[in-house]
Amino acid sequence: MQFKRALGLLPLALLLIAWDIAVELKVYPEILLPRPMKVLMVFVEDWQTVLDNAGASIMRVVTGITLSFLIAVPLGLMIGRYKLLDLMTDWSIQIFRSIPPIALIPLAILFFGIGDKPAIVLIFLAGLWPLLINTIFGVRGIERTLIKVARAARASEGLIMRDIVLPAALPSIFTGLRLAVGSGWLTVVTSELIAVKSGLGYMILNAQLSFRSELIFAGIFVIGAIGLAADQLVRRVRAYVCRWQEGLTASPE
Amino acid sequence: MNRFIECNGVGKIFPSKNEPVEALRGIDFVGEEGEFVCLLGRSGCGKSTLLMMMAGLETVTSGQIAVAGHEIKGPSSDTAIVFQDHGLFPWMTVQKNVEFNMKARGVAAKERRATASQFLEMTGLTGFGDRYPHELSGGMRQRVGIARALTTRPKALLMDEPFGALDAQTRGKLQDELLDIWEKQKTTVLFVTHSIDEALLLADRILVFSPRPGRIAADIKVDLPRPRTSQSGDFSALARELRGLVGADREID
Ligand SMILES: Nc1ncnc2c1ncn2[C@@H]1O[C@H](COP(=O)(O)OP(=O)(O)OP(=O)(O)O)[C@@H](O)[C@H]1O
Ligand SMILES: [Mg+2]
Repeated sequence: MQFKRALGLLPLALLLIAWDIAVELKVYPEILLPRPMKVLMVFVEDWQTVLDNAGASIMRVVTGITLSFLIAVPLGLMIGRYKLLDLMTDWSIQIFRSIPPIALIPLAILFFGIGDKPAIVLIFLAGLWPLLINTIFGVRGIERTLIKVARAARASEGLIMRDIVLPAALPSIFTGLRLAVGSGWLTVVTSELIAVKSGLGYMILNAQLSFRSELIFAGIFVIGAIGLAADQLVRRVRAYVCRWQEGLTASPE
Repeated sequence: MNRFIECNGVGKIFPSKNEPVEALRGIDFVGEEGEFVCLLGRSGCGKSTLLMMMAGLETVTSGQIAVAGHEIKGPSSDTAIVFQDHGLFPWMTVQKNVEFNMKARGVAAKERRATASQFLEMTGLTGFGDRYPHELSGGMRQRVGIARALTTRPKALLMDEPFGALDAQTRGKLQDELLDIWEKQKTTVLFVTHSIDEALLLADRILVFSPRPGRIAADIKVDLPRPRTSQSGDFSALARELRGLVGADREID
């Protein structure tokens, strides 16, 4: 299964071959388009730089998304369950979520300066809306009979939230988390290009300024690889936490 | 005679945008303690609505319902309900599902476990405690629902077409088991069904409903000796009478 999944790397392999051919044919001068081998060497010679910057980016995303999770999930559970709260927030959520976090970079710099703070705030915002909306959506999808069972048993509101509303919404919450992590990762790289002096985004910007195109390529490659790894990680956690769902949902044939 | 379940002039009107729906009108009925009562009638004549009101999950528009001397104003600990679509929580194991009603009452974990095993045994589910609902057959799910309802030793067991979705054999088997349990536990049972045969196999008394608005069209005592089969004495005569009562309504609309 896992082996078959690796088939998904096929388009990437084709791209690498095309790249190598392009270098051979000297489509672009080598200072712009380095050999794949030279890019690989970055991981041998400059691994410390890559590692430090990747670590900085990952830390920001983990911090920002953790914050959005802690706020969006409880809030979403409440909004999904109580109609009045939904009425009071729906339109505002729809407005806020259509503002791309990148558009807020100038504001973030004004308020928080250059550094970790503006990046984390932007990642927090990038993750907040998908998590919030998917949590609300998950709560709405609860089978009505299940709530009736709980009410008939005279379960307290706390127990209903913890044992019924939250688990019922979990699959959807994880869908939101996947989107949030993806969007947070895009945001961290973008904000590092502008508002932060470390991280993978900053690394590739800096490489451009010093004409080290192989470092740019290596950076882009790492950004993609970490994106994939993060997504896989969330999927694994979801498969474990929602293992009761196995066999309940249709899978693509 | 013990007036155990009392409905006095119970009516229900569902408000709706176009035209309010009058689901029930003038339901008067007194059930004795320990009686097995079937509510029989065609689709849409308000059987489920009446059961939901008895469970305290729907409000009455007019009249009152009392169970064991207490007027029903909301879910009560004297009643427990079994739904047609079983209402099991898919994220809980069978064991946790059966424990839920007790958990809602604040019963200690140890006692919950012991009582749950006892009822799992009674319903023939020993050894399935660690399964998830989707790993069970329809008949087994229905048993879990029944086991869960019994754990709090309700004075009245309300069942809404619990065997409607099962094949004839499984249904027959569960009917026998339910009668066993009923004789052992001496609870009062209100059992909604579409099936004349099922009502005759189970009930001490059958309330025949007629639609639009739902009313009790006939109240029939079933004195057939137990255990019953469709060959028992007056079974076919009673079946014919009931067919007439249920079918007569068909000519009205
Ligand atoms: N929540 C609701 N809102 C509006 N109308 C409703 C609601 N619930 C039931 N009704 C209406 O009340 C009437 C009785 O419905 P009910 O579900 O009690 O019938 P039933 O006898 O249980 O039917 P069935 O045998 O198909 O389950 C129907 O006309 C139905 O459309
Ligand atoms: Mg019904």
